[in-house]
Amino acid sequence: MIRLTIDGQEIEVREGTMIADAAARLGIDIPVYCYHEALGPLGACRMCLVQVEKMPKLATACTTAVAEGMVVHTTGPQVDKGRKGVLEFLLINHPLDCPVCDKGGECFLQDYTFRYGPPQGRFQEPKIQKVKDGPISDLILIDQERCVLCQRCVRFMDEYVGEPELLLEGRGVETVVTTVEGRPAQSQFAGNVIDLCPVGALLAAPYHHKARPWNIEREESVCTLCPVGCTTLTTGRDGRIVRVEGRPVVDRNWGWLCDRGRFGFDFATHPSRLVNSRLHGREEAAARTTREIGQWLREVVAQEGGEAIAVVMGGLHTTEEAHQVYRFATEVLGTRRLVVSRDVPGYVPRGLNGTFEDLSAADAVILVGTDPYESAPVLHLRLRERLKNRRAPLTLMGVAPRNLSRSTLPVETLVTHVGQEADVLAAALKEAAGDHPAVAALLSQGAGIARGIDPTQVSQLSRVLREAERLVVVWDGVEPDVEHVLAALAQARQGQTTRVLPTFGPSNWRGFERAGFDARFDALTRVLEDARDGKIRMLILWGADLLKDYPDRRLVEQAYERVEWLLAEGVFVPEGAEHFDAVVPGAAPGEVYGTYVNMEARLQIASPSVNPPGQARPTKSYLTAWAHALGKPFVVDEEWDPYDDASGDLLPEEPLPQDIEAIRAPDLPEGGVELLVSAQVWANGIPSQILEARLEAAQIARISPLDADALGIREVGVIRVESAEGVLELPVRVDEHLTPGRLLVPLGVGALPVNRLRPGVVKVQRLEEVQTP
Amino acid sequence: MKPEWKEWAQEAKKQFPRANSALLPLLHRIQRAEGWLSPETLTEVAELLDLSPQYVDSVASFYSLFFKQPVGKRVIHVCVGLSCMLAGSDELMHALEERLKISQGQTTPDGEYTLLEAECLAACDLAPVAQVNLRYRGPIPPEEADRLLTEEVSS
Repeated sequence: MIRLTIDGQEIEVREGTMIADAAARLGIDIPVYCYHEALGPLGACRMCLVQVEKMPKLATACTTAVAEGMVVHTTGPQVDKGRKGVLEFLLINHPLDCPVCDKGGECFLQDYTFRYGPPQGRFQEPKIQKVKDGPISDLILIDQERCVLCQRCVRFMDEYVGEPELLLEGRGVETVVTTVEGRPAQSQFAGNVIDLCPVGALLAAPYHHKARPWNIEREESVCTLCPVGCTTLTTGRDGRIVRVEGRPVVDRNWGWLCDRGRFGFDFATHPSRLVNSRLHGREEAAARTTREIGQWLREVVAQEGGEAIAVVMGGLHTTEEAHQVYRFATEVLGTRRLVVSRDVPGYVPRGLNGTFEDLSAADAVILVGTDPYESAPVLHLRLRERLKNRRAPLTLMGVAPRNLSRSTLPVETLVTHVGQEADVLAAALKEAAGDHPAVAALLSQGAGIARGIDPTQVSQLSRVLREAERLVVVWDGVEPDVEHVLAALAQARQGQTTRVLPTFGPSNWRGFERAGFDARFDALTRVLEDARDGKIRMLILWGADLLKDYPDRRLVEQAYERVEWLLAEGVFVPEGAEHFDAVVPGAAPGEVYGTYVNMEARLQIASPSVNPPGQARPTKSYLTAWAHALGKPFVVDEEWDPYDDASGDLLPEEPLPQDIEAIRAPDLPEGGVELLVSAQVWANGIPSQILEARLEAAQIARISPLDADALGIREVGVIRVESAEGVLELPVRVDEHLTPGRLLVPLGVGALPVNRLRPGVVKVQRLEEVQTP
Repeated sequence: MKPEWKEWAQEAKKQFPRANSALLPLLHRIQRAEGWLSPETLTEVAELLDLSPQYVDSVASFYSLFFKQPVGKRVIHVCVGLSCMLAGSDELMHALEERLKISQGQTTPDGEYTLLEAECLAACDLAPVAQVNLRYRGPIPPEEADRLLTEEVSS
């Protein structure tokens, strides 16, 4: 540790710390453009000049490491003069067009110039003119005249993301940030450069000329489009959300977002947004619909009791809304049939759930089934950051029916058949700790064969399972047996840490569970079977869309047909609208206050920016009205608090699961193409006009070049997929990285109803080839 | 991509411990052969050295003597530094522009001449100074601009 004094305050920091970071710990603000802790020191902007005693000249706080006994002054006439000089240089060619700049009012160049800068520059010559509002992509604009060449954006894309799409072109005053040959940046992380840009150079195209900072309020919120739950700031204006930015949380996250979350906020104002109540397929006044539903509820409860009603929680609801529904269902209706909408059968018990801190501290990470780049993009960035930390090496392996390795994140993948992941993991566990009673119990039905998998790879995996001190498993929940392997693994590794991060949705499923709903897939299946068998008279979907999400479409259809009353609340009309007796419009994220629980089991607060549009109402107003119709007292408990005193913003800890269920070795397919499903944030079925083109491009099935060749498809085509369950026509494109013998279909896309079939071997036939320009 | 480029890339790589050090020599060699560096060339160089096209573009655009547009057989640089300006470089430039019927930064349609300005060429004793294919010529009073166009030079 090094002791030094900054502005008269003593502080002790680790060797190698930069003065800027040491000062930040003391709460001393040093102005800076180029430096960002996640990117490391560069020293390009010269803004962070400070005075260090015994140093002949001013030093840059971001590149000067602390030394024992150092005395630093971050203010004073000398420092002010230095900063003033730097700003005069930075402004030589700056257009000073703050009045028409989106950043005006929230710009570091403006703020620092106000604080330190000269009121006037001495430079008389004409300013150099460059590109203004030129495109970096369809979503990002660049004003090269305002750029101070801090290089944050270039370095972020190159070093941090590993997709070097931006570059500095030219030299000296002519230098500009641009893309190669003006080709648009494609990376799903490119939007972060807007947040990183300390000046008005990089701008969000959808927010361009939309608002002035003094007209808007930025509310702290949480992205709900995937289970990562990135922290955000939402900007609302005139009743619409117009912008989403990343929100860094000290010591927890850098505030990165993927472009799906950053620009996909407009689903709440999408033309397909449900804003009117629908009764028997027609739009109806909200009061009449609510009254009508109240009567149905009264009838069912009076005739058969509350247990004849089941509630399926889903969608983008908050934990509080789920709790209100839970209380209404248990206290007013009197039913315990409360389940969560699920699109994959896997489940992670709270006792196994890990956090992002576990990921940062891990010495081994195993991806099971999931490709975080597609299913949880910011998790991909976290993994990359962890992998790049050379001081603590990380073993990164994968067990999945396709190769998970990417140029930005190399993953040693054991490529399994569809449905073989649990068995392969079990085989490695057998080799690592076959004698452990938990493992023996797991294998008692003969699993752990790993047929067709290279034994050296299995041994490699078993070594990781045995030796890793802190192991994190990231899992997509597609194959339910994996849960039992993970439970056995955690027991066998007693003394070492084993944590699981689930990448499946709905994004707030753990919050629904916290509120009292059963999040297990089997519970949902039981409800649907009971509905099919006539044991349930009324099915209420609160945000859920089962025809789209539930893996067995046939069962949902049968349930929908059999129940007497089918109701839905949501932001969109669920699929199969003809089945529904009533659909009422609900509030979307950003329209109500509440908490969301992410894949870490961490509670995060979201404040509303706007009010629900049209007739859309928050959950509690429906519930209060129906309780009234039932003649029962129901006061929404505003005081209910999902937080726990002992565990803070994490849900209460639970012990490791003790019961180990034996798994069976799967019947492996012989040849043929195997159907494989995965959750993908760019194809999660939530619409966006801003991202329309990109979403369309992602909502397509994928095959390997080898299989495409065999089918006679060069880039894009339509195929006929056949299995025992039925036949499906799917648009398909060639994916260079996809493992041959696999057909990958995103979950939850209305146009790709993959839940008509089961994962596994299918017959594939070409219908047509689509010529792309 | 010309077949010999692969060989050149190998030779350049051998001289340095890291691939990005081989970039400048390879760009020089290719420009000497091709006259200029097209966008396609830069992409291919990136491939040859396993560098990102962004990095190669950054480097190539940093140096003003890498030509990213085709140039003529004679590339004339007129120094516009302070001494040369006082000694009449503006007039020299105008004379050349009139004679060649192009503006600075352009190449004559017949592909003979390219006229460019140069920041201080560090030869104030020869002001106003110019370069023809990088050979210093000066002092060149504006009325003698023709000398730059007719004098024999090695390319």
